[in-house]
Amino acid sequence: MADLLNTILGVAEASALAALRAQRPEILQHTQGSYDVLLTPEDPGGLSLAERALVAHRVAALSGHAALATHYQGLVDASGAVAPARRDALLAHATLLATSPGRATPANLAALQAVGLSERDIVALSQLVAFVAYQVRAAVGLALLAPEKAA
Amino acid sequence: MKAKSFTLEAVAWDPWLAPVATATATPKQRAALDASPQANSPYFRTLAHDVDSLAERSPLFHSVMYVPRGLKRAERELATVVVSIINGCIYCSSVHARRFAELTKQPDVIQALYDQGLDTPLPARLRAIVDYAAKLTREPAAMTVEDLKPLRAVGMDDLEIFDLTNAVAMFANANRLMQTLGEPVMPEAQS
Repeated sequence: MADLLNTILGVAEASALAALRAQRPEILQHTQGSYDVLLTPEDPGGLSLAERALVAHRVAALSGHAALATHYQGLVDASGAVAPARRDALLAHATLLATSPGRATPANLAALQAVGLSERDIVALSQLVAFVAYQVRAAVGLALLAPEKAA
Repeated sequence: MKAKSFTLEAVAWDPWLAPVATATATPKQRAALDASPQANSPYFRTLAHDVDSLAERSPLFHSVMYVPRGLKRAERELATVVVSIINGCIYCSSVHARRFAELTKQPDVIQALYDQGLDTPLPARLRAIVDYAAKLTREPAAMTVEDLKPLRAVGMDDLEIFDLTNAVAMFANANRLMQTLGEPVMPEAQS
């Protein structure tokens, strides 16, 4: 099974960093598992794969993680179009939550409902933004340990 | 009503979306809730609307915070309090400040962080944890190997640094979920 963080960070199978990650097998499994269900869910509900890719890209880019932003741009390029009104509402919410996590209000959820998001879609969108915020920091911390390991 | 501020008292949480009702939860939602830290809380029942992401997140969260060996539990709790202060999450901060205080019998460390800010004087090991957690939260892209030096200087090994990183990252996640799906209810406002 391909692991996105190992791919992004160039973690080789028999490396010290892979061995370190293997000491926390549930974290390895459910980090990738979260990615899978949020970016490529079997049943995406009312939040399309293209919309999910767009949101993930915005959070990675705002967090300054070039490799993850490039990865998500690839998903955006490979997926279909997003209606402009939906795009604007989703990106506005992703930006708010990525950069000012304490500033959201019920009005922000109403704005999402106004472009057709259901309760489940709003939760999925929130999980997605929150996941990429996690993923960026997990990736950064792992990358810091890599040069020490390679030395 | 008193202004909402960081506290060591227990805080509640009110959702902005109607949570999944316990009585009408599907078997899949039930299973995901049962694997969550508080199966019947409004927070986890709100997350149960998107059951597949909850089913992945709960075991991830559990492993990050509670898996044995590596970074001490109290030190993971401290890191999550620092992240929660920066991100403004009064609910998350209260829960994990209380856990830190229970484990260490040192509520004064948390109170100093609340009252005097993250620069308050601390023992070297706690200082190193606070600084790493703060920078990884605020400026992930600005992190360099130099940021590991204070952790190494207080004797942290790879597994401890890995655990610290995951705790900080998990609360970049938790603070965002908590603060976009609902709001804290302060002790004096609870009936």
